[in-house]
Amino acid sequence: MSWNTILRGTKNGLAITWELARVIIPVFFCVTILKYTPILPWISDLMVPIMKMVGLPGEAALPLVLGYFLTIYAAIGALLPLGLSVQEITILSVMLLLAHSLPMEAAVAKKTGVPVFGLIVIRVTLSFLAGFLFNLLL
Amino acid sequence: MLEILWEALGGSLISVLQIALIVIPLMVLIEIIKDMNWLSLLSRTLEPLTRWMKLPGEAALPLVAGLVFGISYGAGIIIQAAREGTLDYRDIYMINLFLVICHSVFEDTILFAAIGAIWLPVLLFRLLLAVIVCMVVARFWPAYPEGLFREGQRGVKSMLE
Repeated sequence: MSWNTILRGTKNGLAITWELARVIIPVFFCVTILKYTPILPWISDLMVPIMKMVGLPGEAALPLVLGYFLTIYAAIGALLPLGLSVQEITILSVMLLLAHSLPMEAAVAKKTGVPVFGLIVIRVTLSFLAGFLFNLLL
Repeated sequence: MLEILWEALGGSLISVLQIALIVIPLMVLIEIIKDMNWLSLLSRTLEPLTRWMKLPGEAALPLVAGLVFGISYGAGIIIQAAREGTLDYRDIYMINLFLVICHSVFEDTILFAAIGAIWLPVLLFRLLLAVIVCMVVARFWPAYPEGLFREGQRGVKSMLE
């Protein structure tokens, strides 16, 4: 271990911070603006039946879908302006950690030579099961 | 309208700062782990765990790499192991199954802890779930006995060539 190690770590940390800032800030802006339009309540009402199963408000579908298709960073940018409770953030975090960046991570798994469709189905299923369970327990 | 933009600017900058304060020290820690070669040490310690999933000891290194550094890093080591022929198709599928459920445990956990999630049960649940799912799959998909013809392995090798 040397100063070089610490320097390299700091550089990597700054690079990650830059990566996530680039995603979180614009998504945060979009969702904050969306909050003051009728669009978010409309999406929210539409998603209530599904999100109710995991104890989340309808608008939490937005970070969930962004996380599934894009990245955890996008999901965080979208969930922060919603003003969710600690329980709700925890439920969303377990759901998102089990299933996120699905297209990208499937591509990575495919490189190792395994079929990925089943893995995606397993992840989304586990994600909802976990949300259901955490809602019961929290 | 200006108020809304102001809210978005303040909120997003504070969030990024909060995350940066945690992610930068974490990345330093991860570089230290790499430098001190704790990865191979950790994978040796975790070798018994691979037996639960009926995996060979060689599976420990890609598993630990994926758990600590993320799925891409784990995949790199899997591909290398597949080239060397130390892992067969079943092993590779099981490692992928484990890692898609649970990977980058430091970074992901800390990211959500930074925004206020109760992180410990989330982390434990994710690890436990990966182990349980793999154990269940291992029960229904037994490892081939040594020396038997391995269709899958040939498949993987031909894909990589």
